[in-house]
Amino acid sequence: MNGHRTVAAAALAVCAVCVPAAAAAPQRTSRAPVQTDPIVVASKPFAESYLLAETFAQLLESHGYTVDRRPGFASTELVFQALLRGDVDVYPEYTGTGLAAVLGEAAEGGPAAVFRRVSDEFLARWGVRWLSPLGFENTYAIAMRRGAADSLGLRTLSALAEAAPGLAGGFSPDFMGRPDGLDGLSETYGIEFRETRSLLQAVKYQALAEGAVDVIDGYSTDAAISRHDLAVLADDRRFFPPYDAAPLVSRAFYDDRPDAVLALSRMAGRIDVDAVRRANERIEVEGASIAEAAAALLVEVGLSEGGAGQVETGGDRPPRAAVQPPDAGPGSVLLALPGHMWTERATLARQTARHLLLVLLSLGAAILAALPAGVALERRRSISETVIRGAGLLQTIPGIALLAFMIPIFGIGAAPAVVALFLYSLLPILRNTYTGIVEAAPDAVSAGRALGMTEVQLLTRIRLPLAAPVIMAGIRTAAVINVGTATLAAFVGAGGLGDPIVAGLALSDPVMILAGAVPAAILALLVDWGLARAESAVAPPGVGS
Amino acid sequence: MALIRIADAVKRYGDTLALDGVTLSVERGACLALVGESGSGKTTLLRTINRLTELDSGRVTVRGEPVDAIDPVRLRRSIGYVQQEGGLIPHWTCLDNAALVPTLLGHGDAAGRARDALRATALDPDVYGDRYPRELSGGQRQRVAIARAVAAGPDILLLDEPFGALDAITRSEAQEAFTALRESAGVTAVLVTHDLREAVRVATRVAVMRDGRVVMESAADALVQEATGYTAELVEKSGVAP
Repeated sequence: MNGHRTVAAAALAVCAVCVPAAAAAPQRTSRAPVQTDPIVVASKPFAESYLLAETFAQLLESHGYTVDRRPGFASTELVFQALLRGDVDVYPEYTGTGLAAVLGEAAEGGPAAVFRRVSDEFLARWGVRWLSPLGFENTYAIAMRRGAADSLGLRTLSALAEAAPGLAGGFSPDFMGRPDGLDGLSETYGIEFRETRSLLQAVKYQALAEGAVDVIDGYSTDAAISRHDLAVLADDRRFFPPYDAAPLVSRAFYDDRPDAVLALSRMAGRIDVDAVRRANERIEVEGASIAEAAAALLVEVGLSEGGAGQVETGGDRPPRAAVQPPDAGPGSVLLALPGHMWTERATLARQTARHLLLVLLSLGAAILAALPAGVALERRRSISETVIRGAGLLQTIPGIALLAFMIPIFGIGAAPAVVALFLYSLLPILRNTYTGIVEAAPDAVSAGRALGMTEVQLLTRIRLPLAAPVIMAGIRTAAVINVGTATLAAFVGAGGLGDPIVAGLALSDPVMILAGAVPAAILALLVDWGLARAESAVAPPGVGS
Repeated sequence: MALIRIADAVKRYGDTLALDGVTLSVERGACLALVGESGSGKTTLLRTINRLTELDSGRVTVRGEPVDAIDPVRLRRSIGYVQQEGGLIPHWTCLDNAALVPTLLGHGDAAGRARDALRATALDPDVYGDRYPRELSGGQRQRVAIARAVAAGPDILLLDEPFGALDAITRSEAQEAFTALRESAGVTAVLVTHDLREAVRVATRVAVMRDGRVVMESAADALVQEATGYTAELVEKSGVAP
């Protein structure tokens, strides 16, 4: 557990991170019978994964364990990596996903055969265990507007193949990139859409309902399917493997915490598809929080009496969904926002502080690294181009991809996020320092040298003072980029204002998204304003306009 | 004895021979002008005197001491230097600029010396001392640069095209100010210029350089009469009356 803290981090940045990151970890009451690390429960970024992870967490807590919730990992790949490293102890996974997306195999046989296959193979390859399935299946549901499906007479995916060239598809990025997703589907049924678009979970159903696309990939347990009265096309050639939901647990967790594993195993076979659909509906339609829906689900299936103390909100719980109609227009979203932010003010304040911490650590480390490097490059101008281009290359790596690279090295939590933000901050500071130093009154520098100033004096008395506003502008650019990019940190469990954004995207809750996005934007503006003032404060006299 | 002595100076930049065996000396109190077209090696030669350029072979001695035996920073602080466009430090006031070398040397009364130096270049320190370089005209800036070069009272002054960027009238004023200052301070000067007319006007001796060699050296007032070959061409081009 907490492997990221034990990694011998090479970068100075990471060393700087570990202590404050640990200190910033939320305080928890120690109700656990044994004094051990909290159990890290993770999820992927969609509502049902949040829900199941929360039921795991509440069940474990009702048995006296301390839980560290890390919901909303960006993808199967990321959360599975974290599980392999032991940074995550348990997360809800689906057998079909394990088979196709992780093992890269096609389904043979029914649900039992698939479960056996992934159990054996995950154990043999990684020592990772599938606990018994929870009792429901959540498969892909290729859905259309009912009216459109009826008018084309479509009931099955085989039939869709003929109509597809006239239709537009909108699919989640995960689905488009998976072998058991769009590629396999197209191949099996010969489906060729007129066009396909990548759409986030949050906007998919809306886009379909409004006619922006004609076909989407939903999940069979999504409440939105009935809410929007969608037609689900039958998988008549059984392309999709069985997707039984089950807890996937790390090797260390299984070996070291048999009692906790036993507690989780009590869920086996008890959660049927109706119970899940009702819970999803509570969240998506009735505006219940994940914690409330999970608590109700546990009561419903007899795993909890639902007494006081079961449903806690705030603290480390996922943010409560804003109570508002899910299809509300922009006006009502804006109306609901202040109230929601006020209710969640304690959580938002904590997330804002966390966000600032991530930004300050990464920016501080970047200044410590890039400023001396930019100064040093002035004396090695022949390689400066190459080095600055290298830093520029780092910036072209998409945020999620960079975070994904970081997980195998730094684990999850603050460390990979800070390192990624650090790398993003290098270029503006490095480039501006170098440019500022090189362009700082070269004739005054040469005259100063000719009159007997030492290189250190030239640097500290002429070059740095003249370059200071340019360097500060670079720091300002880096800081603003950083505040925005730090929202992605939520995808690797680092917290911050990305948490409500990611949760809001998963739950299709625009109010929750804005509750993270608005403070992040305000933070960016404040940082920009503050550093702009710093920029003019460091401007030397006698120059400038 | 000569204050500055240059013997068999050779300097290469890649395949280019910037100095091709130059031998020269400058007597105390003299003002030697190095004249030539661009690329003739005159600036390179000037910069060997305060070790801004290191020779490949040959030797430079200043005050009887080989320069490569003197710490370059100490050497440079003992020699005044003025370059084209002044090179004033833009975020320092004129007074601070002029006080640079006395401050570097740790002289107690750096500000007083700077004020004296500004006065010596005909700038009232009470008027100009607190101004920043960009608040001055080009000619005034160049005078501050000269004040900065002489404020610590060096016995040697090196000037690289010091009046090159000035217009004709300002230029002749600055030349006169320089000559007055040099004579009153008794400083030995080496001046690089591409302008033969200027060389004749402000220097006591002139060395004409071409392709890294000194092709002629004579007293400034005798140069026009004695000029032959390349120097005669330069004289003709510059329009200095014979």
